Amino acid sequence: MNPIGTEPYIVLSMVLFLMGALGVLMRRNAILLFMSVELMLNSANLALVAFAREWGQVNGHVFVFFVMTVAAAEVAIGLALIVNIFRERQSINIDDLQQMRG
Amino acid sequence: MEWLFLVVSIVAVGAAGMMLTRQNAVHSALFLIVNFGCVAFLYLMLDAPFLAMVQVTVYTGAIMVLFLFVIMLLGAETTTDSSGRMRWLGLAGSLVAVALLVIFAFPIASDMLGDETIERGDARASLRLINAVPGGEAQEFRVLEMGFEMPLTDEVTASVGLAGLEDASVGATITAVRYNDERASSRDYTDLQAGDYTVSATVSDGSYQSGEVYSAVVSLAPESAHTLLLYQNADDLLEFTLLEDDIKAPSVGTMRLSLVNSLADKQVSLVDIGQYTTIRSLCEDAACGSLLPHRVLIDQLPLGDQVSMELDEGDYNLAFVDQDYNALRILAGYQAERGVIETRVLAREPGPPGSQPAYRAAVYNAFAVPAFGSPEAVGQVLFIDYVLPVMLVGVLLLVALIGVIVLARPDALAQAERRRINRRRRVNRPLVSVIAQQTGADVLSGEYMPKLKPGDEPAD
Repeated sequence: MNPIGTEPYIVLSMVLFLMGALGVLMRRNAILLFMSVELMLNSANLALVAFAREWGQVNGHVFVFFVMTVAAAEVAIGLALIVNIFRERQSINIDDLQQMRG
Repeated sequence: MEWLFLVVSIVAVGAAGMMLTRQNAVHSALFLIVNFGCVAFLYLMLDAPFLAMVQVTVYTGAIMVLFLFVIMLLGAETTTDSSGRMRWLGLAGSLVAVALLVIFAFPIASDMLGDETIERGDARASLRLINAVPGGEAQEFRVLEMGFEMPLTDEVTASVGLAGLEDASVGATITAVRYNDERASSRDYTDLQAGDYTVSATVSDGSYQSGEVYSAVVSLAPESAHTLLLYQNADDLLEFTLLEDDIKAPSVGTMRLSLVNSLADKQVSLVDIGQYTTIRSLCEDAACGSLLPHRVLIDQLPLGDQVSMELDEGDYNLAFVDQDYNALRILAGYQAERGVIETRVLAREPGPPGSQPAYRAAVYNAFAVPAFGSPEAVGQVLFIDYVLPVMLVGVLLLVALIGVIVLARPDALAQAERRRINRRRRVNRPLVSVIAQQTGADVLSGEYMPKLKPGDEPAD
């Protein structure tokens, strides 16, 4: 049996999630923003897998699988959008994208 | 193990920090790959080998390559976080992060400090009943009723409903032959809460009247599978025995064959008789007293006992023989399929009194329980319990695919181009400046400026 309990994994997942959140809030580069979101999704996955082992249920793994699928779809769409935005404005700094501001 | 976790988590956090602070987006992406690799390693440590592989292929393989592609396609490696307009966001972000840290850490810290333990779900155990008491007109015993009780406290007992066991017990004769020669499933097993049970059976002597009760206490460990075998011992009394079943998947390329003996006067052996198919040939070659030319798979199994062995995939001629080397039952052309878990219960067939006793080797099957976190385990849950979500996610991916194609098609680019040109044309300046821009001649000043002739005074 693995001697490491669930708590260290949850703490690590929490730290990674916060770093991802910090990245989303502080970086202005749209691609880095996306990468930070991926980091957050990954930390959530880590927590799910840790809890799946804690409870001995494979359902957690299944949810991780779904999260990965959704992340793949999101990245594909998001990067396509970024490419189009870059073509239009020659910039992916999200501070430049404010034409929808009221 | 602790140091491994510590090293991997420090690398993961360090890589995440580097990702956040690098100015070059390519470096950020590479550090994120390191972070994802660490997470995949942690998945391995968390008994999730399948997810670890998916993490490596999908995240670090596909998604991050897509990121790198886009970064290099756009030449946006060094797009800086300039513009200083939103500098306060950095401070606000740090504050929010600290607040979240406190919110998240509080329950964990209080849980670590307090001695409160998390309530786990009920530990389950699987139990099946094999009734190998010979019934019928000729036999003395007949099982009328069978029930289980689980003591909750010293005084109170609760009866446990066992839907799966009822038809196997009430008035049954030999339920061991219930699934004879067809594949029964692990539905034979009933899921119970792990614990100690009192099992009782009411039997009669053929007139259904006497109702003598036999009971025994069985103890079911969590996450285990057991067979409760009810059989008639040498003194013609009923006995229960609890046999522990191994329902872990057998080794690759083999099946697991378990033999249970319910014959009071026999010690059963399982023999691979090779090319022979009849008792006579077995007897001739074995000289009716020696099993030497044959391969003995299970030797001299006593009453009420169970032995498991792994049999390589293939065709066999198997014989069940007693201690005097008489063949009780021959299975000619027996096919051993990989991954199958099969229990053979050797039981006496019901028959009229005085007739030659016949024996059967009744088949009970179980589905192998795949190892936790293995592709098989995840696949079973994914495609049995979560079929609809899997379909929906498939539709989502399809929509995403179409969306990307629509976004990236050259037509869209042309439209954007046209829009830019149109935007340049759409002007709210006086027409003269438009003319000035398009002809390159400044009509508002210089020689093109219309001069007022004398006498051409304005009307007023």
